[in-house]
This record gives sequence, C-alpha cells and structure tokens, in this order.
Amino acid sequence: MVQIEAYVILSAVLFILGAMGVLLRRNAILVFMSVELMLNAANLALVAFAKQWNQMDGHLFVFFVMTVAAAEVAIGLALIVAIFRSKRSIDIDQLHQMEG
Amino acid sequence: MTEALLFLVVGAVAVAAAVMMLLSENAVYSALFLIINFMCVAFFYLMLDAPFLMMIQIAVYAGAIMVLFLFVIMLLGAEKLGEPTREFRWLAPLALALSVAFLVITGIAITQGQIDLQGPQTQPPLVRVAHAASNAGPVDVYADGQLIAENVAFKESSGFLPLAAGEHTITLNAAGTDTALLSAPLTLENDPERTVSAFTLVAYGDAPAVSLIPDNLETTEDRSGRLTIFNAFDRPVDLWDMGSEFNPDDDRAITSDLAPGASVELPAISENTDLRAWRFTEAGSKEAALFRLNNPDVFRIRRDEAQMLVLVSERVLAGTEQDLVRAVAVPLLSRALPSFGGPQAVGELLFTRYMLPLQLVAVLLLVAMIGAIVLTHKEDFRPRRRDVRRRVAKPLAAAISTQVGRDVLQPGLETPKLPPQEEEQPQPVVD
Repeated sequence: MVQIEAYVILSAVLFILGAMGVLLRRNAILVFMSVELMLNAANLALVAFAKQWNQMDGHLFVFFVMTVAAAEVAIGLALIVAIFRSKRSIDIDQLHQMEG
Repeated sequence: MTEALLFLVVGAVAVAAAVMMLLSENAVYSALFLIINFMCVAFFYLMLDAPFLMMIQIAVYAGAIMVLFLFVIMLLGAEKLGEPTREFRWLAPLALALSVAFLVITGIAITQGQIDLQGPQTQPPLVRVAHAASNAGPVDVYADGQLIAENVAFKESSGFLPLAAGEHTITLNAAGTDTALLSAPLTLENDPERTVSAFTLVAYGDAPAVSLIPDNLETTEDRSGRLTIFNAFDRPVDLWDMGSEFNPDDDRAITSDLAPGASVELPAISENTDLRAWRFTEAGSKEAALFRLNNPDVFRIRRDEAQMLVLVSERVLAGTEQDLVRAVAVPLLSRALPSFGGPQAVGELLFTRYMLPLQLVAVLLLVAMIGAIVLTHKEDFRPRRRDVRRRVAKPLAAAISTQVGRDVLQPGLETPKLPPQEEEQPQPVVD
C-alpha cells in the first residue's frame, strides 16, 4: 500500500514541471501542453484523495476537469492557429514584441 | 511491496517523461513524451481504484487531445522555433528558484503538516429493519429515541438508513403508540473489509427478539446475485436443492442445521439458477418440508441484487380449531452497491448529485465548439478581402479591353459560351 503522501508529492513534482514549462518555453503549443500537464497533476492528487477518503466525488471532479481541459484545448489551439495565420509565428516572445 | 516498487518505477518514468517534454527542442517529441506521461498517470488511476477514469484518461487525453496537439503542430509546421530571441533572460533562473521553493514548501506541508491524511474515511453503517415476528402488529423502531423505521408491518422491511457506528439502544413500539414491545442494546461496527457495511435488524420470535444480520451489498460477480438466509423459525432448518423430483441422488444440501436466530451468507449464485427445486426442511429430516421456493416470480436470483431470505413462522387461522403455525420465506431485496470507481458508480453520481455541473459542462463544450469554429473561420479575420479583389479586378479589365479593342465590361455584351453541358458560366467580376 503506497502512502497517500507519495501520490501527492508526485503530483506536486509534475505540477511544478508543468509550471516551469509554462514559464520557460517559447513555443505557444508547448505552453499549452505544459498546462495540460499541470491539470493532470491536479487530477492525480484528486484521485489519490478520493481513494484516501473513500469518496467518489474526487473522481467526478477529475471527470469535469478533463471535460474542461478538452474545451480549453479546442479553443486554445484554434487561437494558436488564428494567431499563426496573422503573425506567421507562435513564438510567445516574438508575439510579445510584435504587439499592436 | 510490489505496489511500492511499481509506484517508484512508473513514477520515475512519469517524471522523466515530463522533464524530457520540457527539454525537447522538437515539439513533436514533446507531445510524444507527454503521451507517455499521461499513460503513467492512467496507470496510477488504476492503482488508485479508478478504472473508469483510467479509461477516459487514455481515450480522451492520450488519444483525442494529444492527437489534436500533434495535428496542429504538423499543420503549422511549428516543430522547431528559430533562434531564441530571449527578452527575459532573468526568467529562467527565477522560475527554477520559485519552482524549487514551491516543491520544498509543498513537501514540508505534506510530510510535516498537521493535515489529517491518515486512515480512510468510512461511511456510517447502513441499517434496515425487517419485521418477522408473527404475533406482533406493525411496529415503529427507535434507535436511542430517534425514529429509524415507521410502521413496519409483518413480513416487510424498511429501507436502508445510515446509523453511526457504536452503541445504540433499540426500542420497538407498536406502531403509533408508546407501548414498548422490546428494548435491546445494539452494537454497530464497521466491517473493515467492506466499503459500506450494511445490516438488517430482524425482529422475530413469539416474544420479539432482535438480531443484527450483516448484509453484503458489495458488487457481485457478473450475472449473479447474493443470497443470505436467516432462520426466524422456531426450529433448526436445512436448505436443500432437490434437483429433479424423481431422482433422489441429485439432492444437494445448500446449508444444513441452521439454528433459530442464525444466518448464513451463500456464495454468489448465478442469476439463471432455478430456485423451484429448493426447499427448507426440518433439520435432520429431508422429507419434512417446511417451505418450497416454487414461485419463480417471488424467489428469483437477479444480478446485482442482494437478497435476504427470512424464514418466518406465520400463524394461520388463529383462534380456530385449525390454528397452526407454518413456515413462510420472506425475500428482502436490496440492490448491490456499484463498485468504487467503476463506470456505474461514476454514472450514478453524475446523474444524481452532479446533474447541474454536468449540464453546465455540456453547455461549455458546446460554446467551445462554436468558439473554435468562429476563431478558425477565415472570413471573419479578413473582412475586406472582396474589396481588395474588386480593386485589382477593375484595372485588369481595363487592360484587357485596351488589348481587345472594345469595352469588356459593357453591360449586355455577349459572352462566349461553351456549347454542351455548361449551365452556369462564372460571371466576370463586374463592379
């Protein structure tokens, strides 16, 4: 039986890796993938707590997070495609410089 | 031990995949590493008793969402960005420092904090009341002075109610009155083996006594149900499966010498089992049949149902010369609880307690769908495109008309047509 703390710490590590991806990568698509990684880390913690407390509600939260993530990806990728069309780049730094 | 080892190995793979996703220069590799990471998380879901979420994790996340990512990367040709034009050089070390600080604080909070993470929360035991005392009328049942079942008639039972584990005093009153028929202490304990412990409180006997019978509401194996037998009759009984009426050799004892007030839980029984050949007999004598389960509409094994069969004594023709006591089997049905984390349990919660969030999420998905269409629809981003074409078209027409020697834009001018199947000629752009 793996302790709940192990899962929560693993979840925190994955979350931080995702956060670093958001902060450090310049590719907008990679930033989005890092956000997905953060959502997954949160999901893992939710499922671990659900198991610990023997309550299914955590599973439902994960279900909703997944649905929202799917919606977010659809919108986000549509935005990236639209930005790429007008600016010919998805480099976040360049987009920042070309502001206006 | 195996579980800890698996956790370490898969956890290491998950973290390594996440790090590689961060470090890969090529976005396609990053996406593939992220898929590995999602697969590892799906494996953890399985370890954490969430098989349904594991399924969606693989199908929706690793499947649909990541394929969408890969598709967009390929579509835009954005595998690699050019030379870095870093504006925020100080960001990388700062992000690293902040991340490490966050990790340290989280680690301290998890390991040293006074957060109550120990011991799984157990739900209070479920209790129902069954009335099997033939000479008592309908009863009200109180636990510590609190009504838990009202007006339970003979051969009937109340629904399951949660009752805190511990000591209780059970009082049976004749329905609607304060005349206590019985008052008895009762100790409820959670069964650590089960997610939900369920009990049936059976009142039986001539001078009513209560007995607490554990019910098993766990999910049954595929296409089978559970049967618990409780003997509320005044003699010990046997239960036989007689098989064929004419062949004495295929008789089979289901349970034997079940004392009054005792119960036995049978192993899972297939839902196709024919109970018509089953009969209760007096203990020791196979011929003295007390009751036959020969009504397939009443005595039937259904899948995902826990059935308690209470053998009670019923007085018939009381007060007359034929006054006698006969045995009656009373089936008490209850649905087996869906297993933790399975699709059935998730679905039940989703369509009861989480109905409103489900609707909201459905609306959100619809909005996202429309939003994606609107955002990627080309026309909306170049509204003046047609004007541009017109402005180009006019001098071109003028150039042609100078070459041909007549005005091509003159209205009413005959345009040459292709003879056979040509229906609609694209009209030249006219201002």
